[in-house]
Amino acid sequence: MNSPGQPSSQTSSIIQLCYVRLAVAQPQAAATFATDILGLEHVPNKLEPFLYRSDQRYHTLCLTAGTAKSSIGIEISGEAALDRVAKALTTDGFSAREATEEECGRRFVRRALIAQDASGNEIDLVLRPAQSGRRYFPSRDAGVTGLQSVGLRSRAMKDDLRLWTTILDAKVTDRVGEVTYLGIDQKHHRIVLYPSDKAGLLYVSYGVESMDAVMQNNYFVQERQLKIVQGPGREPTSGQIFLRFAGPEGYVFSYGYGLSDIGPQHRPRQFTLEASSLCEWGSECADVVELQPARVG
Amino acid sequence: MIELKDLSYVRMGTSDLEDAESFATRCLGLQIGEQSGKALYLRSDDRAHTLCYFEGDPGDQTVGFEVEDESTLDAAAATLDQLGHPVHAGTPTECALRKVKAFIGFKDPTGNQIELVVRPERSGKRYFATRDAGITGFSHVGLHTTNPARDEKFWTQVCNARVSDRIGDIALMRVNAIHHTIALAPGRGPGIHHVNHQVKSNDDVLRSYYHLSGQRVPIVFGPGRHPTSGARFLYFQGPDGMVFEYSIGVDEIEDEETHRPRQFGFEPSSLCMWGSKSARAR
Repeated sequence: MNSPGQPSSQTSSIIQLCYVRLAVAQPQAAATFATDILGLEHVPNKLEPFLYRSDQRYHTLCLTAGTAKSSIGIEISGEAALDRVAKALTTDGFSAREATEEECGRRFVRRALIAQDASGNEIDLVLRPAQSGRRYFPSRDAGVTGLQSVGLRSRAMKDDLRLWTTILDAKVTDRVGEVTYLGIDQKHHRIVLYPSDKAGLLYVSYGVESMDAVMQNNYFVQERQLKIVQGPGREPTSGQIFLRFAGPEGYVFSYGYGLSDIGPQHRPRQFTLEASSLCEWGSECADVVELQPARVG
Repeated sequence: MIELKDLSYVRMGTSDLEDAESFATRCLGLQIGEQSGKALYLRSDDRAHTLCYFEGDPGDQTVGFEVEDESTLDAAAATLDQLGHPVHAGTPTECALRKVKAFIGFKDPTGNQIELVVRPERSGKRYFATRDAGITGFSHVGLHTTNPARDEKFWTQVCNARVSDRIGDIALMRVNAIHHTIALAPGRGPGIHHVNHQVKSNDDVLRSYYHLSGQRVPIVFGPGRHPTSGARFLYFQGPDGMVFEYSIGVDEIEDEETHRPRQFGFEPSSLCMWGSKSARAR
């Protein structure tokens, strides 16, 4: 879905999901959650005191007390691609502005475009996000392998999808009703858009190393009296085994294992809008409207 | 030494045959092989039956093991008799009720009713489950023991069972390559601790967890994973308090000669490496 005029050798402009900046009112409580429950490694940093690693990257989670809106970071392939994306966004009527040096500093990237989708979700389109030379050392043995995907609420599915697929080269990989899975690399999805009446993060998903890790975390979370939002379950679309549970301030976090790879031959499949399309094992979600098949669509 | 080849069946009395049928088909998912007014034969694989419910005392529970042939059976009877275990030789009517050519009945040191059978019937028709539980077959039993060390000795020295692993003093024993066919469990008296059926996949264990929860079947342990056998499991309760297990991925002991039983501590993490806790009363 490249726009006209691009050379045919042009690879996708979108490289990876790099981080989540989570707007919180009480960072200290959220910080305890990040290390003691999620199991991420705290990164000591003067600019951002609540910064966390989950893999080889310098950070994948930042708790921000100063901002009203959460945002996600998406890496763009290079300067030229980012310029092209900036132009396309403006032309298409999406809000996007160049981040200041200070904003880039807090995001640990060399350049960033702070954009909003049609729903109002904030998306940072970034260049050269920082990697870390030191290996990841988790706070607890949760088996986390890295930031894996995010679920986003959308109140303007058509326009939001235009941003992701036409301007950013993400690919629709599957749909459940109108719930849309978007791939940006070899994995089934990195972003999932859920129809909603508002914008916002629906969940932040961290990959774990095995089914054992998902299940061990299931009992770990239960024993700490945290609410399981959905799961343990398995998505028939992506094949991943998941556990979604309540994080700080109404945010939902997820552990996932077994997210399938998709090949170039993959065509988006349409799944019926019913519970078994969101979880083939039979887990249901009691609290989040967007995860209830009878209510979304 | 009495050479046990495989597990053959479980027979259990029930005060309510209709209730047992409903559970066995709608919850457990077995196929009815044959039904008479007083007994219900259930299939879980290509055998003619692996579970039989009969009208009677729920405490009347028997486990059947297959032995090679009738001469082996006679030798076993002699051995048991010599050791002071009263042996009952099955009458033709009793054999017909068990769908076997011949059998003997006796009690293990705890008092569990055991039968050794010859030529248990297979069925020409393939197994067709009542519900999509993914069952691949009846696989092992848990037996109560009032003295684990004594009973381990019986099963391993009088019979051919080998210890695969131990949790505390509790032995998990095999009679073939499968990690365990007999699992001892401490109890106040004789009886079956649980009846295991293997399923096809991890997915089946978790699907059944949600399915059975929805049917209000008490889940007594799991979903979990045994660090001993490596199996993912789910234990749930059927009629008369009997516990059934689904599991997948039981290890096989690859080298019979070199395998040494591992010792696990008697603690929850030795029973489940995921962290589930057993809810059943001892």
